[in-house]
Amino acid sequence: MNAHGYDLSRRRFLQASALAGVAVGMGGITAACNAIGGGAVQGGTFNWMTWGDHYIDEQLKAIEASDKIVANISELAGNAEGFAKVKEVKGQLDMISGDALWVPDAYFAEGLIVPFDINELKVSQQLYPFARQFEIWTKPEGYLGYPFGWSPISIYYNAAEVSPAPDSWQVLLDPKYKGRIVVENQPEEIVAYMGKAAGFDDVYNMTDDQLATVKGLLEQLKPNVLRFAQQATDSVNAMISGEAWLITGNFGNEDRVKDGGGPEIKGYIPKEGTVGWMDAEMIVKDGANTSLLFPYLEKAEQAENIAANFIKHGRPLFSEKAYQVLVDQGEKDRADRYRWTESEAILSQTTLKGPGTSTAKSIQLFNEIFGA
Amino acid sequence: MTTRVVGGATLAPPTAASGGRISSLRRFAPFIPAGLILVGLFFVPLAVMLVFSFWSTGANLDVIPVWTLENYANFFENTTYVRTLFKTLVIGAGVTLVSLVGAFAVAYFLARYVSRRWARVALLIIIVPFWTSYLLRVYSWQAILGERGALNQVLMGLGLISEPSRLFVYNDIGTFIVLTYVYLPFAALVLYASLERFDFTQLTAAQDLGARPHQAFRHVLLPQIRPGLITAAIFVFIPILGEFLTPSMVGGAGGLLIANLVANFFKNALIPEGAAVGFMIAAFVLVLLIAFRRYLRVEDVYARG
Repeated sequence: MNAHGYDLSRRRFLQASALAGVAVGMGGITAACNAIGGGAVQGGTFNWMTWGDHYIDEQLKAIEASDKIVANISELAGNAEGFAKVKEVKGQLDMISGDALWVPDAYFAEGLIVPFDINELKVSQQLYPFARQFEIWTKPEGYLGYPFGWSPISIYYNAAEVSPAPDSWQVLLDPKYKGRIVVENQPEEIVAYMGKAAGFDDVYNMTDDQLATVKGLLEQLKPNVLRFAQQATDSVNAMISGEAWLITGNFGNEDRVKDGGGPEIKGYIPKEGTVGWMDAEMIVKDGANTSLLFPYLEKAEQAENIAANFIKHGRPLFSEKAYQVLVDQGEKDRADRYRWTESEAILSQTTLKGPGTSTAKSIQLFNEIFGA
Repeated sequence: MTTRVVGGATLAPPTAASGGRISSLRRFAPFIPAGLILVGLFFVPLAVMLVFSFWSTGANLDVIPVWTLENYANFFENTTYVRTLFKTLVIGAGVTLVSLVGAFAVAYFLARYVSRRWARVALLIIIVPFWTSYLLRVYSWQAILGERGALNQVLMGLGLISEPSRLFVYNDIGTFIVLTYVYLPFAALVLYASLERFDFTQLTAAQDLGARPHQAFRHVLLPQIRPGLITAAIFVFIPILGEFLTPSMVGGAGGLLIANLVANFFKNALIPEGAAVGFMIAAFVLVLLIAFRRYLRVEDVYARG
């Protein structure tokens, strides 16, 4: 007899044990299904390192309320930083965002991410078909990331101050724009821009001779640069205030400057070609909470959310259905200004961002020119 | 000599020597937590940085653990780094000097002419800006010094300039102004702590004995607050060697300091290259601290005077 006066016979004990065993076994099977992204999950928290424009707080709260899935977000400053971080912490992160060639050439090459069948995500059917088939992200093991946004780097200019209307990178070197240019604080990208200005194609893998040419252009660029923007909004603010007449940046700065009450600005893709990015959400290998990612993406990537993200953050995204949502919302002109439907053609003409063999030399070169 | 058997183990009685060791260990016991923190958060990272600085970065940004002097050779061969370090030292020294002068005036006034109660209120006001983020404070200086900023508006309103000037921002002057603003309160707090305990009647006594005010100041006051002055100088000068946020925001393209160049390496995961330049700064600071070690008796800051 036990302490509660309950007579626990051997038969009842074995029956209870068997029931408990079945329950535990079923629980294990369910957990295993969830772990491979299949069944419903009970909710939880996953760790995501991403850029600030990949989510909207209200959408995260809605998903948390409806699905009990919480995104614990850490801010991603750049591709190299994110890559170094994942190498260091590995499975402490569950999802990370990355650009173009960083995805296959860094994350996948180092075995840091898990490829997956993108068609298992119903929401992926809302993407443009080509976005599910990017060659650089397609491996025999599966697709390397869930496509999100894209943009080439353009030059924007104050139409009242810059004339004649430029069409080339060379305008950044023109002495009459001394102290009137703001570029983002990304040394490797600035070196890449000058590589494009020199007419080089593979600007992340430049030879020493090519870098020597770029050095001369950086020397011409330096007196024209007023300052380095810490983030894209800094460049836009410099245009709005009139401090800058020329900035570099993603699609959409015309709207941002106009919305901020600034002057009329125009943008163009330089005739020598440009660099560009397209980013994706990657599943980190050995992440402890990756079972939450498919359910999260199914919700977060819905066209309505993507359309809202576009309105808030302003750069083109890969969702075909979101474009239709924007059309239905009367935002077709805005989406077309960002050339939403032209991603395939435009990206095919840009040099995609990725880890390069000339990274270290590019940074040394930048420091050499912009140091004292 | 007698022995005891405890739990099967034979213990020898404490000798005078071992007793002395235990006694001296006890004396140092209170410093163990601070020592562990110092070792764990300063010496170990410094050692790691030193080791990394002798390695290199390979393909895919991997750190290759093969010993090389290349990073240091690059520091000295590429004169940019030496020039930028020198410029950082000059700006640091200038900001330190101005901060000390400004902070001394404030601290002297508070210590001599203001009641202790109101002096503490004033000190509280001095440290109030620290309750907001550093980033916000520097951003606000962009708004003050910028082309359309408050300073230009005032100068134009007074008729001193006819169009917005960029004299105060996106150059070394901007960096100088904002760094002074950021670090002056540190100097003020240290100097106030030093001056608060100074007996100002000594100045009167010196003058009664025939000293001119500047002589009393130089020969009576300054020697007694010298440790405070040195400490304040170190509190201002050393952090400036690692400053990268202020120069990147108000220094403009030509106003970068040595830490900005280091940050460029780390942002691109070029850890050994960044570590080498970083260690050169750290080594310089260590040399500086060793050179001034005899002035670094913290108790003097509070006890003397």
